[in-house]
Parts: sequence; C-alpha cells; structure tokens
Amino acid sequence: MQKKIQFAIDFISYALKGDKRYYTWLGILGLFIIPWAYGTYQQLVAKGLIVAGFTDQITWAMYEGNFIFLVGVAAAAVTVIFPYYIYHYKPLRNVVLIGEMVAITAVIMVMMFIMYHMGRPDRLWHLIPVIGIFNWPHSMLTWDVLVLNVYLALNIICGFYSMYKRYSGQPINDSFYLPLVYISIVWALSIHTVTAFLINTMPPRPMWFHSIMPIKFISTAFAGGPALIIISLLAIRKYSKLDIPNEAVNMLSQIVTWCLGLSIFLIMSEVVTELYPSTEHSFQLKYVMFGMFGLSKLVSWLWVSWLLMIGSFILLLIPKVRKNYNILPIICVALFAGIWIDKGLALVLPGMIPSPIGEFSEYTPTWIEIFNTAGNWAIGFIIFTILAKGAIGIMIGEVRHPSAVGKAEAHH
Amino acid sequence: MKNIKLSIYVLCFLLLAGLIIHKIGYSQEGAQPAQQTPQTEQPKQEQQPQIVTDCFESRENYTKTQRVENIVPKYGWPNVKCSQTTGGVLWWGDPYDGTIPMGEMPALDETDVTKGDYAKEETVVKPREKQLMYFNLDPNKNCTLCHDGKIVPFPKDKKPRLLNAHQDIVANSMQLMHGRAAFWCLDCHNPTNRNRLIDHGGNEITFNQPQKLCGKCHGEVYVDWRMGIHGKRTGSWVKGGKKRWWVCTECHNPHTVQVNRFNPIKPEPAPVLPKGMKNAAHEAGHGHGAVPAHKEAATTSAGETKPAAH
Amino acid sequence: MSEHKKELAGKPEEDKNRRGFLKDMGAAALTGAAALLSGSDEAEAQATWAEFFQKNYRLMTDAEKKDAIARLEERYSEEYGKKVTVDGSPAMKDVLFGYALNIQKCIGCRRCVHACVKENNQSRNNPEIQWIRVIRMEKGNFSTENMDKGYPKGEGDKMYENRDYGIQVGGNAYGPAGVTLEGQHYYEPEQVPEKEAFYFPMQCMQCEKPPCVKVCPVRTTYREPDGVVVIDYNWCIGCRMCMAACPYWARRFNWGDPNLPKEEMNPDTHYLGNRPRMRGVVEKCTFCMQRTRKGRYTACVEVCPVGARKFGNLLDPESEVRKILERKRVFRLKADLNTYPKFFYFID
Repeated sequence: MQKKIQFAIDFISYALKGDKRYYTWLGILGLFIIPWAYGTYQQLVAKGLIVAGFTDQITWAMYEGNFIFLVGVAAAAVTVIFPYYIYHYKPLRNVVLIGEMVAITAVIMVMMFIMYHMGRPDRLWHLIPVIGIFNWPHSMLTWDVLVLNVYLALNIICGFYSMYKRYSGQPINDSFYLPLVYISIVWALSIHTVTAFLINTMPPRPMWFHSIMPIKFISTAFAGGPALIIISLLAIRKYSKLDIPNEAVNMLSQIVTWCLGLSIFLIMSEVVTELYPSTEHSFQLKYVMFGMFGLSKLVSWLWVSWLLMIGSFILLLIPKVRKNYNILPIICVALFAGIWIDKGLALVLPGMIPSPIGEFSEYTPTWIEIFNTAGNWAIGFIIFTILAKGAIGIMIGEVRHPSAVGKAEAHH
Repeated sequence: MKNIKLSIYVLCFLLLAGLIIHKIGYSQEGAQPAQQTPQTEQPKQEQQPQIVTDCFESRENYTKTQRVENIVPKYGWPNVKCSQTTGGVLWWGDPYDGTIPMGEMPALDETDVTKGDYAKEETVVKPREKQLMYFNLDPNKNCTLCHDGKIVPFPKDKKPRLLNAHQDIVANSMQLMHGRAAFWCLDCHNPTNRNRLIDHGGNEITFNQPQKLCGKCHGEVYVDWRMGIHGKRTGSWVKGGKKRWWVCTECHNPHTVQVNRFNPIKPEPAPVLPKGMKNAAHEAGHGHGAVPAHKEAATTSAGETKPAAH
Repeated sequence: MSEHKKELAGKPEEDKNRRGFLKDMGAAALTGAAALLSGSDEAEAQATWAEFFQKNYRLMTDAEKKDAIARLEERYSEEYGKKVTVDGSPAMKDVLFGYALNIQKCIGCRRCVHACVKENNQSRNNPEIQWIRVIRMEKGNFSTENMDKGYPKGEGDKMYENRDYGIQVGGNAYGPAGVTLEGQHYYEPEQVPEKEAFYFPMQCMQCEKPPCVKVCPVRTTYREPDGVVVIDYNWCIGCRMCMAACPYWARRFNWGDPNLPKEEMNPDTHYLGNRPRMRGVVEKCTFCMQRTRKGRYTACVEVCPVGARKFGNLLDPESEVRKILERKRVFRLKADLNTYPKFFYFID
C-alpha cells in the first residue's frame, strides 16, 4: 500500500514538473478555463441549458457532436494496443501507454460533454442501478453508459497496472494483465458501435438511420484517433527523452491511411444511396450537402471537412509524404479537424434538420456553448498532458520506486 | 530561438481558434436580442394587458359569450378564457355555462344506433335564441314584433321574391346561399309564426333545436352528429356523463352555408421561433399574410434560374 | 399556508436534513448541487430536499405518493398564490384513451394550440412551449404554362438546379401537393381556412409501442394503464433521447426555468399531467390527464370550433372514437414505423 501511495505521489509530482515550455503549454490551455468557468456556472448552475443554442427543433448539437467524436478517439487506443498485443509489433512498445492515456482522457471528456448535454446533471444518480432505475437493456443510452464506464475502468486498470509494475520493477502478471488487454480491445470496438447504435436506431432521423453507421463510426474513429496519437507522439519525441521509433509512427500512419480510405468509401456509399433515389429521407443529407430552402449554414463546413479528408487521404497514400515527419503532423491536424467537423457538426446537426415533422430551421451555438466546448477540450488536453508526462517518466525510468532503481526492466 | 517559434505557433493557434469561433458564432448578433427579450417582457407580463371579455365560441357574432370571473370557485376559474388577438374562446372553465336541457330527441327508428346513447345521458345545449339579433329586439314578442301579420303581412306563398329587409343576413334573397336554389326562406322559417322554424311536415321547431330541422334534409350528417362523430361536444367524455351538444347553427350559417360551410376566422398567432432561429424560405409568409412559397416556386422555377432564398 | 405554521413545521424537518447532510457526505454533495440548481428559497429548499431523494412515481407506495403530492401542493400553492391541487388519481378501470382528428374539417385556426397552453401550465415565453403543432399543407398548384417546361428545380433542392437527369422533359406536377414534409408551420393568413391549403395538426400520438419510452435510460417516461404515455418530471434527467426518438416531434424541453405567470396558472393539476414543470425536463401532451381522468374532455377537443377533434374510450364500442373507427376512413400517422398511435386521423 505504501508503495502504491508513493507511486501516486511520484507520478503526480513528476507529471507536474516541467520546463518553461511545459508550463507555457499548460498556461495557454488554462486560459480557456476562465470563459469555461463562466459558461459552466451559467449553464449548470444559474440558468440551465437555455444559455446554449439548443431548441426543441435542434435538441442535440455541439455537446452531443463532441461526445460522439470523442468516443471515437477513445476507441482509437485500440489501434496501438491491437498490433502490439496481437501481432507483437515491438516498435509500439512505448506507444501503448500513450494510447491508453488518450483513451482515459477521451472517456473523461466524453463524460464531461454528457454532463453538459444533460438537462438535469444533478439527477444523474437516477441512472445508478439499485438506487435509481437503469433501463437496461431497452435503452441504448444505458448500453452506452455501461460500455463507456467499463472501458474507462479497463484502461485505467491496464494503464496504471503496467505503469505501477514498471515503477516498482516487478514483472507483469500476464494471466491477470493479458485477458484485460484482450477484453479492452473488443471493448474499444463496442464503445463506438454502441454510440453509433445510440443514434442510428431512430427511424425519424433518416440521416442516422442506416446500418453503415457503426462501421463508419469505427473507421472514422480509427483514422482520427491515431492521427491525434501521431501528433502527440511526434511532439513527445521532440520534447522528451522518450524513444519512439519511426516504425511506430509509420505503423500508425498506415492505419490512419486505410481507415481514412474506408471512411471516404463509406461516405461515398451513403451519398449515392441517399441521393440517387432522392426521397424525402435524403432531405437531411441534401440539407447538409447543398442547403435547402435558403438554409445553408453547414454546407461550407461539410465540404471543407470532406476536402480535408480526401486531401489528407491522397497525401497519405504517398509513402514519401507519409514518412516525412514535418508534413505528417500537418496532415494529421487537417484530417483530425475534417473528421471532427464531419462527426461533430455534419452528422449530429442535420439529423435534426428537418425535424421529424418537416420543420427546417437552423441552429447557432451561443458563446457560452463555445466557451464550454473549448474549455472541455482544454481540460482534456491538460489531463492528457499530465497523464502522458507521467507515463513518459515511467517509461524512460525517471519515475522509479527506490527499491527498483537499477533493476533491469521487467519484460513481458 | 525555440521560444520565439513556440510563441509564433501559439499566436497562430489563437488566431485560428478566434477565426473558427467567430465563424461558428457569426449570427450571434441576431440571436442576442432574442435572448434579451424575456427580460424586457417580464415586467410587461406583470402589468397584465386588458383581458378580453367579449368573446365568441365558434361562429363569429352568433356565438357570443361574456367572460365572467370566478364561475368555478374551487379553482378560481372564469367561465371562459379568450384569445387576446381574436376574441375566440380558448378554454372553458365551465363547459355547461349558460346551457339549458336539450329537450326531446326521439329515436330515429328502431335501428337507431344513436338512440341508446342519448337516452342515458344528460344533454344540454346553449340556447340559440339569445344569439339572434332580430329575435331579441323585443323580449316578449320576439320576431312577431314586426312579423305579426299586420306590420309585415304573412306571405301568401313560398315563391322567392326580392326582400328589402334583413339584407345583413341574406344579401340577395333571390340568391339564397343554401340549397342551391331548391328552396327559400319560408321552407325553414314558419310563415305565420316567425318565432319558430318549420319543417316540411309543418311541425314547428324552436331556434334552440335547429338540428331537428336540418336533419330532415341532411340525414347522414344528422346521424353522425347524433353519434358524436360530426359536430362538437364539450363536458364529459364518459358514457352517460353530462355533455353539451353543439347544434348546427353554432358552427354553420344556414344562410351562406353553400359558400362557406364554416365562415373563415382569423387564426391564432403562429408559434415563435426560439432564439432568433432562422427557418425555411417557404415559411416566408410568416408575418405578412399567406404567401404560398411553393406556388411562387412552381411558377417561377420552371423558367429561369431562381435563387432558393426569398 | 400561514407563516406561523410553516415555521413550526419547517424547523424539525430542516434539522433532520441537516443531520443527514453531515452523515452522508456523498449524498450531501449531490443535494447541495440540487439546492443550488433549483434556487434556495427557504420554503422551497425544504421541499427540494425531499423531492430530490424521492423515487420514481411509478415505484412509490401509496403513502409516498401522498407525501409527494402534499409537498407539491404546498409548494405550488405558495409559489402561485392560490390553492393548487395536485391530483394523483390512477388510470380508470377498463379505459383506453383514444383520439381521432378529422383532417377534412380542421381549419388551421390554432385554437387547440393555445387552449392546450391555457390548460397545461406550459412555460409562457422565450419561447412559449406548445404541445400541438398545426402544419399548413398546400392543395397543389399546377398550370398549363408550365406544361412544357423542363425538369423542375425543386425549391431549395440545388441538386436538380438546371439539370436534366434523363428522366423526362416537361410536365408540371412537381409542386408539392397534399401532405408533404415541407409543410408550413408559421403560416399567418388573414383568415383560415384558405382556399388553397389544408391543415394537419400534430401532437403526442400516445403510441402503444412508444419509441420514446424504449429509449429512456431511467424509465421516467412510461405508459399508463389507460394508454397515456406520461413523464415523471421529478425523475427526468434531461438527456433528450426521447425527443430524438419521437417520430412525431411531440416532446418539448424546458431549456430554462419555466415562466408561468401566477394569474395564468391553472390550479387544477395532475402529478403526471399539467403540474408546473422545472428546468431541464421534458414534457408532452398527456391527453389532459387532470381532466380526462375526472371524465372531462381534453382542452383541445373542447376548443376546436369545427369539432374536428374527438376523444373517448377505445374499449367502449359506443364511444365517439370507436364509432369513427367503425364508420370512417381512418389512418395513423407514419404507420410504417409500427408505433401504433392511439391518435387517429380520419376523413368523412
């Protein structure tokens, strides 16, 4: 127990220590907290969701979009865990932990966005089985709550267990650890699948109501998530002593490429299926692609996002470009942004436009909504920075229990 | 050197973020005033605008009613609540306010599906006589104030002729907008007792029971009405519960029914789009009468290219 | 409620709560949040404590229901300055509510919309919450001048602009006619009915297989034995899954604190019906539960100036609704979704 407490203290104190650049980075992120605090007070305490741009016509918007996107990011940890543990692809050794930290952060962010989405966050306890009512298995949302919480637990256990073992210089107990890892691989798929089921089981929203949704969610997630991991790996490689081999980055950028290609293919299938017969059910897609009845706020967003995705895909197909670590992060940022728009804005919002009874209207986020969203992202980045910093400390051996210092690192 | 680079990155990032935020929120200006309105409207609410008390129930001018406060003391309800914009009754505190028993309603025949229904129920109607302007010129003589056979002689036959009175009810008596020229005033109004209606069998019918007269021709609708399918009932939905049945002339103007089964009325206000939201171009009619946008589109779109937005 | 009595009753309650506060830190944190969220007026705070921990209405014992109702009655009476009754009467025996609307008769006057607001204590502005939406549908407008014109560009349908998709040339039957998805919600003509339009009111269909109930994560919305889909406003977490799942757009959300002027408040309420709601919860049509469970017609049925709206017991073959089902041409909206609405549209 003593050792565990020591681990926590060492981990945190290492994570919070850094040079000027480190504090500047955290400081910039911290700036977003100020408007966030104001927005959060206004929304969660003072006035309620009315300070956000939602209406009865458009009941799900910014928060829901980010929630869906971030579930994908969380699931994407599997893109490093899977090749490492199933194919024993050694170069990913140091990346696995980073992937798990991304997953933990993303799930925490997901939960934050859900909190902001709720009308009555004070009544969340109604969801807790036994003291509340958990409408499982009927409600898809309960499935989502279930898989997300288990996924968070799995990642915390796996990540911190392996870190702790390295910290204390003990060998990893494979019969405990590996089953959890394998479960978490399947679980990662399940979280995004269930999130897709959450929205594609609603016939009144034709844009969501198709069976391509889960695989599209997963493919976009496995493109956007590893892109984020690549960016952080390249940053980590630059600013820390952690050795990340080129092969690791290359592996990830390949995954990104193929998943991105698959996403584009699926988007294309969807467009053809909807637009060729062009029934009333295609109104939502047509609205977001071309605008309808004088409403076209999302049109430019959608096309920008598709161009970003297609452009990144073409560039990534060129091995020289893919392996150029100066260009790669730019492409990754572009496609990350592209997928964020596609999943956050261009998927959730048009599901509401037109409404099931045909009302066309347009939504504008309020500043408070933007403050809160930006703040949640900033908090996410802060959490990730701290977790990753600590993990790096463990991996490069700067965080060690005194008894483990000098011992050869345990292999498995 | 590195720090300079970093700060340039940071600046670029902030600039980009600012741009994005600005882009997302560009129509915020439109939304702001809409959000502030409730604060300015609140005091207005407390001032309470003058409550409309002169109301009409269904047919304008012929189903008038007065709002009376505290008719249902248990809840402090008035008899009716009316629209502030049209005067139409929107809500009944007492659905039986001002009603009288409907009177006798014999079964149509042995197979009458409506018979049993009526026999078990307490049924009331709102007297129509109170709504008739000429009828109420004199509280005792009513129509016979003039139509007494002397001031206005009794007509000799039912032959249509041009009338010089009651043009407010029937503009041109030669073109009665009911029955498509098949009949005339005296087919319904009793020639010798103008306080009553009369059916083709010569039976006198009061103005309060017009259904007995209308049903003679409009049999199918009459059966529907007796079953509660046609027309309107208020009060208790429960079988055997007390109901107010609405009679024919509460909704239909028998003198113009051929033109309008139901005389057009002003609609109640449209819903308000929240937060200065934008809606579809075909809602452009909002605020200045009905502009059927589709119609416009149908006529103009075929020829030249026309922007979708109005 | 006299000040004196409140004081006497208030103190011990408060103490008990305070002790609870110290006892259970986790719960206390939650409760603190609740108190913050719903204003901290002294009398209100008291009820809030108890209300916060109450169970879902469906699972309450009779005694608990009575407590909850008494608490609400006291709070509402104080808040609205008049005697407010909260009815908790259960579904009547052998009753299944059904509704029929004569689409041929509706004139689009929107009186039902406003009658509903008068009856059901909806929030009054920014915006006014309305449970009924009347949609204007065009009868169709075709003309010989357009007969030879090319493939039409559906308005707002940029895909087809100036494009011939090889389907045909000429023809003029492309305008919307009859029930379409692009009906008008905000029509405001001088007078209704208009010659070139008809109207289509929509509200909660009280589905037998309600998608909203299925998706609710906390079962705060459920179907009552008389067929009405209700919401326990005190149990709703405001996730809005039901609003997304409803094919009829029948549910509304209290985005902010509802505003309901005292004099507008209808003091005859039902726990599952029109009692004043709070911020952050969903609400919808309940077939005027506070009225219909006492035997009275719904407000929209009573107000319809053309008698297009019919209401009754589907289990009673003599009821108006059953007679309509028997004798008229009836349809259910979006029958393809298999929701089995108990709200029928019919034509003569």
